Amino acid sequence: MFTPQHDGMLLVLILVTMIVTGILLFLLSFLPVKFRKPLIAAITFLAGLYYVLEFFLPVDAAKSNALTPYRTGFAQINQVLLALATGVGIFSLFSAHGRAIVRRRSGWGFSVTLLVAFFAIMISGFIHNYFPGPVADGIYRLCFNGALKNLQAAMFSIVSFYIVSAAYRAFRVRSVEATILLASAFIVMIGQVSLGQAITAGLPTTGLAASFRLETIADWILTRINSPALLAVELGLGVGLLSTAIRLWLSLERGSYFDREV
Amino acid sequence: MDHATPAARIFLVLVAAIVIIFVLRAQNGKIFFIRRIPGLTAIDEAVGRAAEMGRPLLASIGLGGLNATTGVITLQALAIVSFIAETASKFGNRILLPMVDPSLIPIAEESLREAYAKGGRPEAFHDEDIIFLSDQQFAYAAGVAGMINREKVASVFLFGTFYAESLIIAENGNRIGAIQVAGTPSTTQIPFFIAACDYVIIGDEYYAATAYLTRQPTLVGAIVGQDIVKGLVLTLILLGAILSSAGVPMVHNFFADKAVPLADFLHSIPAAARKGG
Repeated sequence: MFTPQHDGMLLVLILVTMIVTGILLFLLSFLPVKFRKPLIAAITFLAGLYYVLEFFLPVDAAKSNALTPYRTGFAQINQVLLALATGVGIFSLFSAHGRAIVRRRSGWGFSVTLLVAFFAIMISGFIHNYFPGPVADGIYRLCFNGALKNLQAAMFSIVSFYIVSAAYRAFRVRSVEATILLASAFIVMIGQVSLGQAITAGLPTTGLAASFRLETIADWILTRINSPALLAVELGLGVGLLSTAIRLWLSLERGSYFDREV
Repeated sequence: MDHATPAARIFLVLVAAIVIIFVLRAQNGKIFFIRRIPGLTAIDEAVGRAAEMGRPLLASIGLGGLNATTGVITLQALAIVSFIAETASKFGNRILLPMVDPSLIPIAEESLREAYAKGGRPEAFHDEDIIFLSDQQFAYAAGVAGMINREKVASVFLFGTFYAESLIIAENGNRIGAIQVAGTPSTTQIPFFIAACDYVIIGDEYYAATAYLTRQPTLVGAIVGQDIVKGLVLTLILLGAILSSAGVPMVHNFFADKAVPLADFLHSIPAAARKGG
């Protein structure tokens, strides 16, 4: 849809876009309150209409219709909007932690650590990209591979401990439902491992008796009970998602967003 | 992205028509009934407890953003959190909202400001309670867990798209004894929430939440339309199973987009239109 621009032209286009956007936003601020909601509803409807028509219009052998070529352009607009929003996030982060440091709130040292880490990673990333060298690469690797990745891995590993404590609570035999849950979970777990399979290894692999092998029972619970129940939940979710999407697209979701302000 | 098959065209238009018809009927004064959903009724209890204890509430709208995959889920989560904020504002409670997606911060601020105004306490709203933590999954989980423990929140509300971080957050809430209400369309995370939270909203109850909480005719009408569609889908599944078992797989083939007279006819329409064009 758009030809990518580089160098000076790119800078000019960015500046022009910023100025035009600024003027547009300035003019919109003068829009009477009663017109704001219809304007938002109209923009929402038009933006959604493109995707609806692109999805519904018949396609040719190359799986494309008259609107398909513009899909990348629309996706890029979305990306630009999201990229602009990153600035909002950084502002929120600095504002919250800056206030904590200035007011010496409890735990303000953590805020200092966060801001120092923020600048360390940002500056090392810039140097790594624009002025590569052994020192810059070393700092970059230390920040990303040495610190960030390991910290994330550490957080992920905590999940395994939480699974144990959550499972303990869930499997405590307090009611009929909890007992059924415990029994099913026990069979499924033991049926998945070789030790469990060895318990009923003496049973034949064919015929009626094969149905009583632990791995068969575990598979039956997963595919005949668990999967249909999950599919039923997902069916309800799918219909709910569709209904909610229609409500949002047609701006019928009154009261949840901007009902009074705009 | 895929394009609509003939079956999808008919079915999606039918679904949209049913939902819109019921919305219009509700807007014209027809009263519809919604059954009690315990998880949503518990919101008042959780907010009231926080007021009694004089501690803040914490809400998370998960890892979803404003993209095609999770946008609707996230906006629904934000609508639920807005209602919670409105209830909380009546008691003068603070609600902490750690965020993953910075593009949602202005929307969240506006929604919560509006909610506090509706609750009659606009001055109780503080911008700094909506804080961007990180767009990295486990950095966000660590941040939320830290907030739960530092602030000793009385109640935790988890609505939206969650992945492996769900259990880290919910277990920390459980550890400090907070009342926890959760709801997510991420089916793989529902068991974790059931194990760690006090109330869990399952399946399409998630999308019924705003209608249930606000009782607005438009939303209630949409929920009724949604239930009619579910009934229609179940009828088609039953009919398809019976017909397929009888050796006439017409319903199955139609939705599987295989050659049957009706599908052939529908396929021929765009081809004829192209020739005509």
